Amino acid sequence: MGVIVLQLFAVPDGKSGPQVIEMLTKRVIALGAVLSGSFIVDCETYSSTASLGAPRSVHLLHNSETPASVFALLEAASGNKTVALVADNLFDLLMLKLSNFYTAKKQTKIESRGPRFEAGDFLVKLGSVTMGPAFKGILVEVEYQACSLPAACWDLIREFMQGFLGGCVPSTPPQYIQNRFGDMLGTIDGINQYLEQFNAFRKTTGIR
Amino acid sequence: MDDLFSNNSVNVSVEAPAENLIQEIAYDGQEVYQLPLTLSENLTKQAHKIDWMKGDDDDEDIEDIPSVTSATEKDAEEDSKKPDFQASSWPWDSVRNKLRSALTEVCVLADVITVAKDKRYMVLDPVQQDQPDQRQLAQLFSKKRGLTAAANILLHGAERLKISQSDTARAKSNQDFHLELLRLRQNWTLKKIGNSILGDLSYKSAGSRFYHTGIFEVTKSEEPVLGSSETISENQHKPSMIKVTIPTELGGTAYIQDILCTTNLNLVHASLTHSDPSRDANPWTSKLEAAQNVLFCKELFSHLAREAVQLQAAIPHMVVGNQITASLFPGIQLSIHFQSSHSVGIEKRQPVSNSTSPIAKVDHNFISSDILEHSLHQLLRQVHLNNVGQPVPHPSSAPLGPTKRRRLAGPHAYDRDELLLMTKNENILEQIIRQGQHVVLRLRTMFVIDSIAREIRDPLIISHWNVLNSPTLSCVKIIIMTHGYDTLQRTALVVHVGEKTLKCICRDGRVLQMSYEPQELRDLILCQISQHQINAVQSLARFLGWHVVSSSAHLGLGPVEPLGNASSCILSSPSGNRVLSVRCGPQAAQPQVYLSSFPRPDIEKNKVLKDVRWEQLNASYEEVRLEKIEGRNFLSRMELLMASLTYLLSPN
Repeated sequence: MGVIVLQLFAVPDGKSGPQVIEMLTKRVIALGAVLSGSFIVDCETYSSTASLGAPRSVHLLHNSETPASVFALLEAASGNKTVALVADNLFDLLMLKLSNFYTAKKQTKIESRGPRFEAGDFLVKLGSVTMGPAFKGILVEVEYQACSLPAACWDLIREFMQGFLGGCVPSTPPQYIQNRFGDMLGTIDGINQYLEQFNAFRKTTGIR
Repeated sequence: MDDLFSNNSVNVSVEAPAENLIQEIAYDGQEVYQLPLTLSENLTKQAHKIDWMKGDDDDEDIEDIPSVTSATEKDAEEDSKKPDFQASSWPWDSVRNKLRSALTEVCVLADVITVAKDKRYMVLDPVQQDQPDQRQLAQLFSKKRGLTAAANILLHGAERLKISQSDTARAKSNQDFHLELLRLRQNWTLKKIGNSILGDLSYKSAGSRFYHTGIFEVTKSEEPVLGSSETISENQHKPSMIKVTIPTELGGTAYIQDILCTTNLNLVHASLTHSDPSRDANPWTSKLEAAQNVLFCKELFSHLAREAVQLQAAIPHMVVGNQITASLFPGIQLSIHFQSSHSVGIEKRQPVSNSTSPIAKVDHNFISSDILEHSLHQLLRQVHLNNVGQPVPHPSSAPLGPTKRRRLAGPHAYDRDELLLMTKNENILEQIIRQGQHVVLRLRTMFVIDSIAREIRDPLIISHWNVLNSPTLSCVKIIIMTHGYDTLQRTALVVHVGEKTLKCICRDGRVLQMSYEPQELRDLILCQISQHQINAVQSLARFLGWHVVSSSAHLGLGPVEPLGNASSCILSSPSGNRVLSVRCGPQAAQPQVYLSSFPRPDIEKNKVLKDVRWEQLNASYEEVRLEKIEGRNFLSRMELLMASLTYLLSPN
């Protein structure tokens, strides 16, 4: 249980994704982090058939940090908030059974994968986002495991992130965190942020 | 006329009753008819009914009736003539005629038979005989007779059985045997295999995977087996007709003994005692129970031995014969013995009332722990349960297999570390080692607290141990207070005794982690005592109206304390002309009290310094001899002192 902050790292011109990841890796290791494996967060989208009314999409996300869970987010039906469900791995199979009502949109499967570092109470994940074969951008996730309240630790997280990401980190927290500044955050909030970023990635063509 | 008849007539048809005979009625009520005979079958049936012998005669008669009658008339005439004519000629004529007719008959018969044998022109077929009359009454009688004969035989046999049963000696023994067998069967599983009755006393049905089958045999004993002849007169054991044979390796009794000991001491041998014989009147109960216990102990010991060999510990565990040795702390070992006695008869040595603990005197280097034995039994039973039981999934459509925690891991989004923790399975030896460590640590803590409480009487040390504790965690609350002043000041601290560490939580919120060395706890308590004294004096001062000028929990002045820090406080009387300074260190037996009084006795009136207040400067402190003051403890002495100093006015 910790505060998860996602930060988009703009790929400078002339450099490729792996090069940027390598550069960030060096910086993170210089800060004293230890490489501890890799991570992957992926998202599949299912959209409802016309027989159910207005088409709504269900996003199924998996996180290697919680290997026993599947996060299902139902898109808002005009005005309502997204409904989030945390379920067991069998939920994937359930979606297959519902193929008459929810069809999978395979071409929009998007994922972020890369190395994972631990620096004390911080967990840093440098992910390169790919949609199919195409590389879309770099997404950095920082989790501060010691605290669940953004209001108490936002400054600390920002300072840490600025230490290896540089100036691209804004001084104000991202909109998602700002809306929940006084609430206790958990894994589902990280997943919500990933969904927002993935949706933004889907909309843009080329590298963001 | 036809019209008339056709209008008013009723058609009458004549037909044979075409109902077919019912062959059978099926179970669902359907009737199966005998099929009507086909034409060829009908023909054969009719042909069988013809008696060809009789038919020929009939035919002859029918056809040649007129001729025959005339012939017979003629024959009769001729015959009458012939005999008249012939009789006189030859007496063998009739014989010759008869023989000739017989010869013709026989020739014809031979011809017929040869032709019939050929089967080309003539075939012999049986003539269907008419069914004899069904004489039901006769049949009934014959059946009845047969049944009565059979019944007589059976009754005869039954009578013989009755006689044998009514024989007193025989009857009782059989009855006893069967009754006892019934009682045996109520508690133990029995199977009849061939001619012998076998039973199972292993824990296989409860989930054990031990290789021993635990089969015992039940036979009828030739002479009554006397039960254990105890001196307890209430239990008169009836002679039993059942003889129970158990495998030899399960004979006698056994138990697992856990001993905590220091390394450099020889183990004291424990004397074997038996628990009270079971109140059951049956001698086989105790025998079977003892055998089952032996089996359980064997399984437990083999399980532990296997784990001891497989586990990699810092100091390796030793398995020698019937003993497993594991080290808990440096210098302290846990040895697990498998003790058994193969004596089938019950040898009584020093019966101990209702306890299997063999230790008469407690040697402080050698502790036998019944708690650990009980824990071992429980742990093995837990393993058995895990082998058998499957947790039922809550939505019943969920897959069978994962435990409840694993099923909840998905919806609660457990991360990798938590999932990894769940997969760690501790085996019995590790668990018992942890429990043994906790036992040792708890005993040590008790010892430390009790010894301090014995030594130091001035503030009283009271310890309350929590009733609820786990095999690896206990809590004790230590209260330090002075007799008579318990409402004034109490210092409390809680100590959580774990497996290898102690955690102490003081009232002011400090949390201290200590290791298993008993000296650390002792030092901590001594420091707390010294701080308690100073706090108590401060509270007392406030109570009496004295002012606390300054206080310090960790004093930086004065000689360096060998242990911890000294604490002190300075109190001034309500009128301000007396100042008491109290200093207490953890090592000191008693706090030290110093008094300074104003005005300074040594100052001389000075023309320059005229003001009274110059006399209020610090005077030298003199030590107060507390032992001369009456009082039960330090605080009561302080109270007396302060009370007596309160109203003393200055000489002027």
